[in-house]
Amino acid sequence: MEALKPYIPYLIPVIFIQLGLMVFALVDLVRRERTKGPKWMWAIIIVAVNIIGPVVYLLAGKDES
Amino acid sequence: MSAIRIEALTKSFGKFRALDGLSLTVEGGAVFGFLGPNGAGKTTTLRILTGLAHADSGGAWVEGLEVGKSAEISSRIGYLPEEPAFYPWMTGIETLDTMGQVHRIEKAERRRRVDEMLEMAGLTEAGKRRVGGYSRGMRQRLGLAQALIHRPQVLLLDEPASALDPAGRKDVLGMIEGLRGQCTVFMSTHILADVERICDTVAIIDRGKLVANARRADLIARYAIPMLALEADDVDRLNKLATEVSQMGWAHAVAIEGRRLTVTVKDLAAAQRELLAQAVAAGLVVTHYEQVKPSLEDVFLRIVENGKESRQL
Amino acid sequence: MMTALTKEWLEQRRTHRLLIVCLILLLFGLLSPLLAKFTPEIIKMVPGGEQISQVIPPPTIADAVVQYLKNLTQFGLLLAVLMGMGMVSQEKDKGTAAMMLAKPLGRTAFILAKAAAMGASFLIGTALAAAAGYYYTLLLFEALPAGGWLALNGLLLIYFSVYAALTLLASTLNRSVLGSGVTAVGFVILLALIEMIPAAGKLLTGGLLGWAGNLALGSAEAPAWGALWVCLGLIAAALTASVLVFRRQEI
Ligand SMILES: Nc1ncnc2c1ncn2[C@@H]1O[C@H](COP(=O)(O)OP(=O)(O)O)[C@@H](O)[C@H]1O
Ligand SMILES: [Mg+2]
Repeated sequence: MEALKPYIPYLIPVIFIQLGLMVFALVDLVRRERTKGPKWMWAIIIVAVNIIGPVVYLLAGKDES
Repeated sequence: MSAIRIEALTKSFGKFRALDGLSLTVEGGAVFGFLGPNGAGKTTTLRILTGLAHADSGGAWVEGLEVGKSAEISSRIGYLPEEPAFYPWMTGIETLDTMGQVHRIEKAERRRRVDEMLEMAGLTEAGKRRVGGYSRGMRQRLGLAQALIHRPQVLLLDEPASALDPAGRKDVLGMIEGLRGQCTVFMSTHILADVERICDTVAIIDRGKLVANARRADLIARYAIPMLALEADDVDRLNKLATEVSQMGWAHAVAIEGRRLTVTVKDLAAAQRELLAQAVAAGLVVTHYEQVKPSLEDVFLRIVENGKESRQL
Repeated sequence: MMTALTKEWLEQRRTHRLLIVCLILLLFGLLSPLLAKFTPEIIKMVPGGEQISQVIPPPTIADAVVQYLKNLTQFGLLLAVLMGMGMVSQEKDKGTAAMMLAKPLGRTAFILAKAAAMGASFLIGTALAAAAGYYYTLLLFEALPAGGWLALNGLLLIYFSVYAALTLLASTLNRSVLGSGVTAVGFVILLALIEMIPAAGKLLTGGLLGWAGNLALGSAEAPAWGALWVCLGLIAAALTASVLVFRRQEI
């Protein structure tokens, strides 16, 4: 673990993107009136499934119009 | 040259015949009502005219150009589908502008047309908002606006007012009526009141076949059965009168609704002579008497009912 | 065609498709060299991992390239299917296609504009991933040969395009988004099964990726021109089939 210490700062942008994506998906979910499938299910997927969760929601879970 | 000519059009979905040799002509400049009950084949006909669906046999011409052969048709027509759908992520202005671009209207003219159309549709305020948030009535008006953006010669409207509340219906029918003289309007509907309000010519279809096609007034004159109505307070005597009248040679059918007696008649002249006299003889005090003007609804019901009977036989 | 393209590109931006592709590909561009660097340390932390870590050699730049290819192909494939499956079928289902195609807008243009817009999103996303991957590999390992790295990413873009085009075909064949997704996954599985045949594998995406890996490390070994042509042919065939099917379809 010691050997990796100097590399920790490199992780910051990675974590930033991951969290950003999750927050973006959650904000969209809360604002949206209708989704394909129940909202609580999407909330769990977005939070629990790292990276893929928000992506699947944003590309396939929204129900527009 | 007629604006729309349809000849012996057939279209089946599996074994089901949605259009069964439909033929029809629409004269240029008409506001044409294409009337029929649900499932009669109206939407199918319109989809064939726009090139979205293909007929199994028969042909159709718009402004003299054959559907399916000439790509030019799509520039001549404006089409409003039964359920107009827009990209929810576009604003109203962007929607109309995109449609204008598809019609290759150049930029300055396009901007002017978009403003005009928004104004006509009463969407000037809403134009900057995303279409995803529009109400059903707003979408219908936007649908009409996008169909008119390029000043089409023939406007094809599929149930333009059927899904709207009375106020929305009034708006849309008003907009359509305002087009009289500018282009040929071909409007499908299953609601008679809409046709009675604005159409000058009517075709009635049922189960994929044309059953009537005429000017609205001619249609009523030809198919409507004359009817007399009479009101009185003494219900017992009114019932007795009804029994007597139904025996008469000139009467077709008799009905009582509360204090109102209506008689559909075979021989109007004889009925006019005798009905009141009989009522007086029966000791009734008549409070109201009239010859009922038949509505398109009566005609429609009669034609569609006749169709059912003849099919059952 | 320009109108259709403008509309599709606006859609990529407004529906956040462009943003998502960029973020995800960028994310794995950054993450892949990091994962390569950390893997031995992570194994060390697992109970009993100490001994194993003795025998694994320290991570090299080659591991970084392998990670990059592995992660980007996986997530690129997922993105292609998720983005492409609704492109045509949803427009048919909702009725927007009928609205557009009753106007003087060609059906060929309608399909090709979608392909181009999706391709553009992947192009930008791949460029970001390439830049990020190059930079992090430089910091954590050493500089990659620039020409080879460019070639790898070019081949990666072709890999994405194969699945994007197949998904677009699936979307054209179906009327529901779900059906399109199922068909697209079917295409992916079919391709994976064909790849299992050794002779065919070399001529498909597998061969393409092997070549890409070599190029990135500055080696000219195992060029897979055959695979390149087959993949380009697959893209062309899928798009042609989409257009031909769509031109006959009732909307
Ligand atoms: N795509 C289709 N597949 C199967 N049946 C259809 C399809 N479209 C229409 N029909 C059938 O054809 C008949 C006529 O439909 P339509 O033209 O929509 O009627 P209308 O618009 O007059 O209500 C209906 O019975 C309908 O169920
Ligand atoms: Mg209909």
